[in-house]
Amino acid sequence: MEKKNDYRISFFKPTTALSRTNRNLVILLVIIWAVAIFGFQILLRVMQKPVPESSMKTFEKVWSNIEQGIATQEEKVDFTNSVLSVLGKSVLISDPASRLVLINAVSSTIYGLIPEEAKETFLTEVANFEKKKENIQSLQDNDYLKAKANIINRLAPLLNLEPYSLKAKLLPLVISASEMEIFKPDNKEKLPDIMKLYLVHNRSILTDTNFLGFPFHYFYTAIFLLIMFVVLCWIYCFLIDRVHSKLGTDEKS
Amino acid sequence: MKKITFLILLLLATFLSASNATALEGSFKVGPAIILISILVLFVMVGLFFRAKDTTDYYAAGRGVSRVGSGMAIASNWMSAASFLGMAALMYGSGYHGLAFVVGWTGGYVLLLILMAGQIRKYGKYTAPDFIGDRYYSSALRATSAVVAILISISYCVGQFGGIGLMFKWVMGIDYLWAVIIGSSVVLTYTLISGMLGVTKNMQIQYVIIIISFLIPLFILTYKFDYFWVVPQIGYGAVVTDIVQGIPAPETTSLVNSFGHNFAILPSPEYAMPWDPATGKTFFQWMAITFSLMVGTAGLPHVIQRFYVVPKARDARWSVVWGLFFICILYWSAPVFSAFGKILSADPEIGILAKDAIVVYTAQLGDINPLIVGLLAAGGVSAAFSTVSGLLVAGSSAFSHDLYFKVINPKADPKTQLRMARLATVLMAIIVMCLAMLKLALIGQLVALAFSLAGCTIFPLFLLGIWWSGSNKKGAIAGLSAGLLVTAISLTYFVAGKAGATLPFHSFVSYWLGAWYFAWIGAPLAIITNIVVSNMTKETPIEIRKFLVEQVHT
Repeated sequence: MEKKNDYRISFFKPTTALSRTNRNLVILLVIIWAVAIFGFQILLRVMQKPVPESSMKTFEKVWSNIEQGIATQEEKVDFTNSVLSVLGKSVLISDPASRLVLINAVSSTIYGLIPEEAKETFLTEVANFEKKKENIQSLQDNDYLKAKANIINRLAPLLNLEPYSLKAKLLPLVISASEMEIFKPDNKEKLPDIMKLYLVHNRSILTDTNFLGFPFHYFYTAIFLLIMFVVLCWIYCFLIDRVHSKLGTDEKS
Repeated sequence: MKKITFLILLLLATFLSASNATALEGSFKVGPAIILISILVLFVMVGLFFRAKDTTDYYAAGRGVSRVGSGMAIASNWMSAASFLGMAALMYGSGYHGLAFVVGWTGGYVLLLILMAGQIRKYGKYTAPDFIGDRYYSSALRATSAVVAILISISYCVGQFGGIGLMFKWVMGIDYLWAVIIGSSVVLTYTLISGMLGVTKNMQIQYVIIIISFLIPLFILTYKFDYFWVVPQIGYGAVVTDIVQGIPAPETTSLVNSFGHNFAILPSPEYAMPWDPATGKTFFQWMAITFSLMVGTAGLPHVIQRFYVVPKARDARWSVVWGLFFICILYWSAPVFSAFGKILSADPEIGILAKDAIVVYTAQLGDINPLIVGLLAAGGVSAAFSTVSGLLVAGSSAFSHDLYFKVINPKADPKTQLRMARLATVLMAIIVMCLAMLKLALIGQLVALAFSLAGCTIFPLFLLGIWWSGSNKKGAIAGLSAGLLVTAISLTYFVAGKAGATLPFHSFVSYWLGAWYFAWIGAPLAIITNIVVSNMTKETPIEIRKFLVEQVHT
């Protein structure tokens, strides 16, 4: 039992009505605060399942034949399209090693799709474009635009892509003349893991439900939690002011 | 006179149209430069007008600032380059992971309010080391915490100077190193002539500039790209969903970025999905960063110091509510830039962009008027300036008041103290400038390091110091040592990694004690150590306990 004149204070053993009310209020608000922030993220973690993008499913379907070198034209087209789905992701910029593997995969497969008689011309076309790309001053350079359009127009029909589509526009920028001859065995080994890394995502009902246009979990974290913080602060100030005036403990300047 | 005015206007118009050509980097941008210079001149004028007259003014602005005014100052003080530039950069680079910074940097205010704000004001000390030295009746602790406060200010400032450098580089088209030197000189001059009174007034003006410059481009972007523009902070929800599902390129060109690329993107769920493997970030890191930033918020000397400038404890509490609300306006908005930036820079032809400048690049890629982009850049500089000045004041206060006056030369007159504060400001600015030139990490990450340091050291001392009279000198020393030990281990591995060296268990320690979030373990460890040692040693003197009961908790 604590004596009054001991002047000992502890958050968990309040000795005055004010500190008791304050303690209860703080505990309540901290619980709400902690559950809302960390509880929700834990729930998100518990509920999540790895869900592949459709490109990953396509990749898995054709990969075995591509790996063994017995893929049909159609399978090669599907394979190239699935790899392009990763090459078009801007997050890949921070992973140049994986990008090289993907470039080799796309370049060599596309090269395999080109008819024999056109292979040499195609190689020269790509090599010339790469040189131009290195030396241009502006993205509006006419020669550069023309060379780019030539590659797009040649490859888009081959890959069942519309020439204006994102993947078609990506093509000239992700194929390399030096990577066309062979799909290197070590790259073959690395590719499935890279595809999995970029095309499988943690999803659940919380991420797939739409709220005010947002994926729900994103809205909750980016918008709702901040509103809740302001409201919690407001509630605390309001209630503690009321307690002070009730107990006659209003502070002086 | 008319002729001169006409010539000036003509010259200005020529410059403005010349700078209209879209280039993300490189050239000198006259319009933005004029806006930036005008704003800086305004800051200096306000600083001169409200300059510090004595040490009381310098440290605590005469304790005459209103709640809303103080809230604005808290927000402006808080909304640094890390908030203005760094947060969008983090989300642009690592998607949902970046939201850990948004939540961490706001949620900490709840802790600060309910656990500390009013009590700190009631305790009535000028600086964090002052409180620690007094509460734990120890000059050694005062001196150590002053050094810690200086280190926090320095590491926090490094990110800010980096942001200032990036914006000066963008506006002036000069080399990053020169941009850092010029920017640092300007912010130093401004802080030296204004002190905290000028700083407080300036912070209110800075808040208005920061928020206006940040919001205008958002309305334009959402309107231009056909999203719900009335409240862009809600309208961008559809942008996030579009990024996840992808926006196919249209057959005919309609919406384009400033390079003529379609407003289109391949499906990129990694942007919004939690701890996506593609980002290389994990659930643990998300939680650890959030927790570290929160406890760090409640332990930052320059934030705590804001509570001394309000007349009473009640005002200190309400100023937190206002401050947090003003802060949230920016934090609700920052993700909008990263979402638009993601789509507008989706074409591989754009190449690699400096993440820390993505806010400005997004506005440029969205083909927003260069003058508005210039205002945005000036807002970024303002954000960095407002925080840097607060940090330099906190750091120099720690040196002149807590180290020099209280420990080294107790007989120093106020004039000498002020001189020492200014000397410390200059020294700190030079150190920070040199570190900023090294570009050690993203702005947000560098700032997060300061938070972890504060969370491991200052936060436990304040928390236990206020709420448990049993926490005594020896407990505090032990707790602080534990916090500093965790900090030292984490920073040693961080610096070694940057230098290319590999230490034993390098990847293990670097992951579990990452430089941006080591407080997840450091703070609880410091608290537990403090409690255990306090219970084993001599009790806190009666006069301290009496003061706590009678002054702080009544």
